[in-house]
Amino acid sequence: MSSDVYDKIKNIERIFCPQSIAVLGANKVKGTVPSDILTNILKAEYKGVVYPVNPRERHISSIKTYKYVVDIEDPIDIAVIVYPSSVMHMALEQCGQKGIKGAIIISAGFKEVGGQGIEREEQIKAIAKKYGMSFIGPNCLGVINTDPAVMLDASFARKMPEEGNIAFISQSGALCTAVLDYAQAKHIGFSKFVSIGNKADISEIDLLYYLKDDPKTKVILIYLEEISDGPALMKAARTVIEETGKPVLAIKSGRTKAGASAAASHTGSLAGSDEACDAAFKQAGIIRCYDIEEMFNKAIAFTYQPLPNGKRVAIITNAGGPGVLTTDAAIKCGLELPKFLPETTEILKKSLPKTANINNPVDVIGDARADRYSVAISSVIKDENVDGVFIILTPQSMTEIESIAHEITRVASQFSKPIYTSFMGEADVAAGIDILQRNKIPHYILPESMPIAFVSTYQFKRMLEVKQEPVEPFKDIDIEAAHSILNQALSEGKKYLPEEEAVKVLEAYNFPVLKSGLATSEEEAVNLSEELGYPIVMKIMSEDIVHKFDVGGVVLDIKSKKEVAAAYKNIITNVKKFNPAAKIKGVFVRKMIPPGEEVILGVKRDNTFGAVVMFGLGGIFVEIYKDVNFRIAPLDNKSVDKLITETKASEILSGARGRIPRDMKSLKECIFRLSQLAIDCPQIKELDINPLIVLEDGKGSFVADTKIML
Amino acid sequence: MDKNEVQVRVKKVIAKVLKVSEENISDEANFIFDLGADSLQSVELVAAFEEEFQIEMAEDKALEVQTVSDAVKFISQYLN
Repeated sequence: MSSDVYDKIKNIERIFCPQSIAVLGANKVKGTVPSDILTNILKAEYKGVVYPVNPRERHISSIKTYKYVVDIEDPIDIAVIVYPSSVMHMALEQCGQKGIKGAIIISAGFKEVGGQGIEREEQIKAIAKKYGMSFIGPNCLGVINTDPAVMLDASFARKMPEEGNIAFISQSGALCTAVLDYAQAKHIGFSKFVSIGNKADISEIDLLYYLKDDPKTKVILIYLEEISDGPALMKAARTVIEETGKPVLAIKSGRTKAGASAAASHTGSLAGSDEACDAAFKQAGIIRCYDIEEMFNKAIAFTYQPLPNGKRVAIITNAGGPGVLTTDAAIKCGLELPKFLPETTEILKKSLPKTANINNPVDVIGDARADRYSVAISSVIKDENVDGVFIILTPQSMTEIESIAHEITRVASQFSKPIYTSFMGEADVAAGIDILQRNKIPHYILPESMPIAFVSTYQFKRMLEVKQEPVEPFKDIDIEAAHSILNQALSEGKKYLPEEEAVKVLEAYNFPVLKSGLATSEEEAVNLSEELGYPIVMKIMSEDIVHKFDVGGVVLDIKSKKEVAAAYKNIITNVKKFNPAAKIKGVFVRKMIPPGEEVILGVKRDNTFGAVVMFGLGGIFVEIYKDVNFRIAPLDNKSVDKLITETKASEILSGARGRIPRDMKSLKECIFRLSQLAIDCPQIKELDINPLIVLEDGKGSFVADTKIML
Repeated sequence: MDKNEVQVRVKKVIAKVLKVSEENISDEANFIFDLGADSLQSVELVAAFEEEFQIEMAEDKALEVQTVSDAVKFISQYLN
């Protein structure tokens, strides 16, 4: 860790756990942000000392008030600043002079308003840098730390949340208040709660490093509207997850507005910014959520219960319908409903009525009271075929809702297997739900939410078990040759490389490219074909034709001199018909690749995350089937495996339905080479290898066509 | 009107609007940071200057006036 990073983490620690706070700009006007901030600090019974600062007041809330922060005689750990943006630089300058190292800048009127606001933000960043100060904000709700030793509520939220193990980082202040309200109703507690606003200094990345070592935090939740440094976020999340096993769950909003733009390559068209974000989150181990409810459904599963050892779940219900719904949802999520051991079935048979279902899902029948639930839960959870238990309750006239909730709590505390619950309904089950939530038993309104949360914890556990292995870069490559071709094309103002040059770039990276040549006449085409050997493929070479197949610019499986001559004529005629002004360089002649499965490999440079590598089912229908997947370069073994196996193409390549198993080793090698090319050559904006023909196992793969956009 | 007279009258206006004593108003005092004005009082100050000096200050320019010396300079230029 560099000394700068170390100092920043120390400053963040000060911000969350200050011994003393100055509130700059506090006032007496109730219902205003400056007043509410001070009131919240006092109401939370903050364990340190607070000093209001206001040039006109002698005291606020009976506390001596100072004209300037520099007038305070005692040392101050942090400043909470609520002055208007126009004087923020003066306030921060005085904080620096006072030796304050951490600040929370609540006020708006900075980058988010544009114009002068941008200058003001740059100004306060420069002042903070000058004094080695770190700050949260500006334009934020504030910071909360529920640690009983600190009890800091330096925010203008309506109330302080309960103590818990979830840390919440949000770019939206308004969302914070909604989340606090949502969490309060469900007794969800927080360790740290921070609104980062414009994140002009302290960002979600810095906070991830801080929370990594925070003993009070077990789960980290992030709401982001904009990612300023994608690779750094990935690195920080991966560090947290790998070093501590703390799950990181994130919502990235703004998914729809930045879709994939019109692009010349298939990869460019398919790899939008949201796909890149998805790929990056998966690769970093971040669990992506799409709404607040999903995020908290998963967060409570992670924070309240042990992680499951497997994906075998038992369902206990007092109603058939919800049991079936949950079973369907579980199977859809990839979970299994195992058969119980004979001893479990024996206990259930003895203890439950004859009409009960003693197999999985267990139906204790509508008239079940607490005793039936108790025996079912206790026996099923002990079964070594079971990794977790879902309990469903519907309120019948005789259902002992609260007693059952207490019983679940009692049993859950005795076993290290996860138990999730769904007490269906609202008014009648409210007291039971309250008992469950207070006792940290995950509860879900919809029973179908239980498998979704469970599978998330199961996949996370599996991910922790598989270690990422760094991959040695290839040494049999010629970076200079690739750079020289790409730089030459850029200097000539080209937007994409002609195919023969694109092939040379791939050759420089030792991709399996077959020998080929360019013919500018029928005669040259025939001579070249004789030299290469049949069958032959011929393709138009023109910078004005991108999708060659679509215009009749490609002829496959040419077996003789006569066919070569005819193909040459046809290709030229077709292209001229399609675009009479097209500049034709000639016809590309290459030995035809033996039959195999067609896949696509691609690269697109994403503004946030860098080079996005794509893999999927190839050929001309790529954009119709959309069976593609993405990861961010550089790739490691685990990422390449996931890149392939998360597609349907993977099953075809493995020999599904009697097909020939394909050469996965050569396919993976091509993907690794592509990852390295993407990192080494930032000149490449988009790249398609489509198709890459993957031959049968042991026989390799061959590049059949490629496009490189600059 | 000379600058000194403008300054005396500006301070009087500030003292009245912000309810601070004149002797506590330095030449370089910032209305918000040094004298504790809030956003509403900043607008009231502009209105009070307009009334005192019988002038009309353009809103965007007037809000850029943040200190006593800014106000004296702005009003003097306007009067001359």
